[in-house]
Amino acid sequence: MIRAALTNRSLVIGLALSLIFVGAALVSFVWVPQDVATLDIANKMKTPSAAHPLGTDHFGRDILSMIMVGARTSIAVAVVAVVIGMGLGVPLGLAAAARRGSLLDEVIMRGNDLVFAFPSLLIAIMITAVFGPSALNAIIAIGIFNIPVFARLTRGAALSLWTRDYVLAARVAGKGAVRISAEHILPNVTNLLIVQGTIQFSLGILAEAALSYVGLGAQPPVPSWGRMLADSQTMISLAPHMAIFPGMAILLTVLGLNLMGDGLRDLFDPRIRRDRR
Amino acid sequence: MLRYVLKRLVSLVISLAVASLVIFLAIEVVPGDPAAYMLGMNAQPDTLAALREQLGLNGTIPERYLSWVAGMLQGDFGTSYTYRTPVAEMIGERLWISLPLALYALTLSTLIAFPAGVWAASRRGSAVDMGVMGVTQLGVAIPNFWFAMLMVLVFAINLRWFSAGGFAGWEQGFFAGMKSLTLPAIALALPQASILTRVMRSSLLDTLSEDFIRTARAKGLTRRQVLWRHALRNAMIPVLTIIGMQFSFLMAGAIIIENVFFLPGLGRLVFQSISARDLIVVESVVMLLVFAVIVVNFAVDVAYAAVDPRLRGRR
Amino acid sequence: MSLLRIEGLNLAIHDYGILHDVALTVEPGQIVGVIGESGSGKSMTALAVMQLLPEAARATGRVVLDGQDVLQLSEADLCRMRGRVMGMVFQEPMTALNPIQTIGDQVAETILVHERVTKAEARDRARQALARVELPEDRFPLTRYPHELSGGQRQRVVIAMAIALRPRLLIADEPTTALDVTTQAQILTLLKRLVQEDGMGLLMISHDLAVVADMADHLVIMRHGRVVESGPSPDLFHRMQHPYSKALLAASTHQPDRAAQPQDMPLLQVRGVIRDYATARKGIWGKPGSFRAVNDVSFQIRRGESLGLVGESGCGKSTLTRAILGLEEVQAGQILLDGQPVFTGHRPNRAVRRRMQVVFQDPYGSFNPRHRVARLVSEPFHLLDTPPQGAARDAAIAAALESVGLSADDRHKYIHEFSGGQRQRIAIARALIIKPDLIILDEAVSALDVSIRAQILDLLADLGDRLGLTYLFISHDLSVVRQVTDRVLVMQAGRIVEQGETADVFANPQHPYTRQLLAATPRLPDFENT
Repeated sequence: MIRAALTNRSLVIGLALSLIFVGAALVSFVWVPQDVATLDIANKMKTPSAAHPLGTDHFGRDILSMIMVGARTSIAVAVVAVVIGMGLGVPLGLAAAARRGSLLDEVIMRGNDLVFAFPSLLIAIMITAVFGPSALNAIIAIGIFNIPVFARLTRGAALSLWTRDYVLAARVAGKGAVRISAEHILPNVTNLLIVQGTIQFSLGILAEAALSYVGLGAQPPVPSWGRMLADSQTMISLAPHMAIFPGMAILLTVLGLNLMGDGLRDLFDPRIRRDRR
Repeated sequence: MLRYVLKRLVSLVISLAVASLVIFLAIEVVPGDPAAYMLGMNAQPDTLAALREQLGLNGTIPERYLSWVAGMLQGDFGTSYTYRTPVAEMIGERLWISLPLALYALTLSTLIAFPAGVWAASRRGSAVDMGVMGVTQLGVAIPNFWFAMLMVLVFAINLRWFSAGGFAGWEQGFFAGMKSLTLPAIALALPQASILTRVMRSSLLDTLSEDFIRTARAKGLTRRQVLWRHALRNAMIPVLTIIGMQFSFLMAGAIIIENVFFLPGLGRLVFQSISARDLIVVESVVMLLVFAVIVVNFAVDVAYAAVDPRLRGRR
Repeated sequence: MSLLRIEGLNLAIHDYGILHDVALTVEPGQIVGVIGESGSGKSMTALAVMQLLPEAARATGRVVLDGQDVLQLSEADLCRMRGRVMGMVFQEPMTALNPIQTIGDQVAETILVHERVTKAEARDRARQALARVELPEDRFPLTRYPHELSGGQRQRVVIAMAIALRPRLLIADEPTTALDVTTQAQILTLLKRLVQEDGMGLLMISHDLAVVADMADHLVIMRHGRVVESGPSPDLFHRMQHPYSKALLAASTHQPDRAAQPQDMPLLQVRGVIRDYATARKGIWGKPGSFRAVNDVSFQIRRGESLGLVGESGCGKSTLTRAILGLEEVQAGQILLDGQPVFTGHRPNRAVRRRMQVVFQDPYGSFNPRHRVARLVSEPFHLLDTPPQGAARDAAIAAALESVGLSADDRHKYIHEFSGGQRQRIAIARALIIKPDLIILDEAVSALDVSIRAQILDLLADLGDRLGLTYLFISHDLSVVRQVTDRVLVMQAGRIVEQGETADVFANPQHPYTRQLLAATPRLPDFENT
């Protein structure tokens, strides 16, 4: 398994990219090139140099440090949103599949359809309109949107597993729906969930960036990639590096996660081709 | 077929009813007193009472919900508190930017994705396929608003082919209007086109490995003939699903892209209303967008039946 | 000159040899049967003739069809030949047709790709082709879609597509394996008739010796990618030389020795059982309909008896199995094991359920791939109030594995490390571990190759004798039921239409449906294998 993983190019590149950004976020807790709270107006909007490898922003803050600290926000929001989505979506999907065609199944599926009609941005808009903007909003909005994604995936996979003879054998052995879901269904959908988890993780990073960009996510002074881009917009002709580097950070993180998802999919199921949308 | 459409129609109406209830509860009931929220901390009791009267907040919750829905059914979305104009009128104006933008982007992404997906699938494993997959991998990962900013930098600021933002207005003519929407539409379409290309390709490849494709080959059809005559229509079923889902992402994406290009569409309206705490406008715009998503998904369901005879029911 | 002459055909996929020096010939009007177990390379031989091989496959040798070596032809030339000179029918009729095109269009397409004719003329000829395969237009309009037809009807459409242009050679790869026995007989008759009418050669691929023996003029027996023996049928059956051919024949007619005699006391009693299913409601406001899957079924199994239950797909035998196992409640009637009801007050009765176990058909789908054998085999312990722990549990697992001919050390392995036959042994071990009285064998040997099947049947007979087991043997395959049961029930459309001693029922069937089933069952020529 490990040898197969190391020969999988997508997985290795994806994992490396993802680890760089996760690592940067972790390192930022103990060390950053320059404190992001101190402003240095004299050195504002400097292009990349030895002192500031990625240049400085309009308050003279070091962009590399900002990106490192901003990675925390992006990763935290996306991870918690995936945890919310999985934590609620997977049990709902398992329950719906275990009681296929029942009222419970119907309610869960219609509930899913309903949530799908609210893109995470609309959820964030509604929350913000009522409670005001915050990073928590972004987490809730993206997390809610993740629930039906995982519920549907789990239900679909579980339904086909429920028709397997080994489930029938477990029923013959007197096991109930909950026990069968835990022993036979869930372990056989984990691979699928891990792959989807990386995809939703990357979508979460994109969504968090978009929400912060329009001011519905993390609020100043907490640095975030989306906010950095929003700040850079009016100065894009004067200091394009302010826009380019945070954008690259988002692009590379998302790319890394997507490649990792592709690679994991290949690794778990060699029959499925690398055809991800 | 008729029965299938009717069934979908019933579920459309139910979805709309439930969605409207959710929006109503989230915006008018959860925060407590919307009027107090809109006026802020220092509101005078008499202004508060006047606003309550104006917003129709004095009834019970079910009464308020029903009158809100009844109003919408008659095209009455209430009156904006900040602008003192009917919300329906404001939305109508903004829709003339947001809707063409979304359709423009959807058209672009479909026009790119179909040929690219078919091309990659028909030359699976070739340099073309690898190239398409590589580009779309990037396209999926790129934040569309950042891509929009880069396009502004290149095409508006450096090359000066387009203006950096704002809307020319339809009264300047169709092409002037479309020109202002071109960069935003490209920015919106790029990630969607990438996703759609990948779905198109993988769906085609899946279909090409089906048994009936082998049967068709045994009849003497060439690879190209099976692709066009048998695989393509069958592969459309998952592609339709994605097109339907994309519409909701396009609506959401448009709200953000409008901010990059300072387009006076629904997205701008929403953010202005949020900062002005104008809940009535937020509520109506959200409802409108959700309505659009649900209706488009209904259309996709009907399109399924047109493609797939199994859904039309046995005769 | 032969219609088809294969000489020295070698085929490899990624340097892995699939076919080795295969040779066979088909004359016009001749039916050549190719027989082999899984992995024998019989299907690859067929696909090599059509040149519809997987992309990585490389073939060398000569495959001369109608004077042309298809291995040397360009893809364009091959396309001109497929459908016109050679046609092919595949195993799985449910997926062989394009689901979103009408059957008329699909048959007409064969004509349209090869001949310059108008659409109307092509449809006209499609209509004739469908009529030839006994799908007349008045009952099966050209505008039908595949999902509106049964499996047998779909296979007829596939045949119509293949013969629409009256090809010289028809290749049929397990054309009836997915079909019920009566449908199988009809399709085989149809193929024979078409061969006679058109004088085409038929290359018929099958795993079932009896199916091919019934209709082929010439037999080719394959194993591990090689032809082991070939010759004219039915003479070949008498003159078989190769040990594998003899073993294959012996396995096909294998009769396990059973010593135990059933005792004269009922173990399982089924009385007037009715099981209804709700069906989709008609219209939006219509009432949900109901479908009676099991209709007033009564029978009993004596202790130590082996009872067969035969019937075609959809006859209700699976539903009845689930009811007996206490997985679903019935609407009326009683199911008693040793006098105890399977269901008491809407709840399955654990004390009864622990006395019966089941073995399923699919050796690949019967086990959770993530569990080790020890856990898989010990799953039925869940039914015990005080399941054995520690050393007692290990001993029970070891005993169960050893009783089915596996080693106690196999308990640490995962299921993917075992072959199909070994998996079926593990399934039997799982059934035995709680020492049940009744074992339900639900098509338990249907997915196995004949030689493996014979071994499993022997094992079951041996276990039955040693442990005093009672079997309910459910199968669509009458020849197997005949070999291993004392009594047999025949089920049709939810009802038991005939029951009796197996020998009597087979020798002297009373119900017309039983007669029809027996007539349809392919049989090997009657002879003593010496």
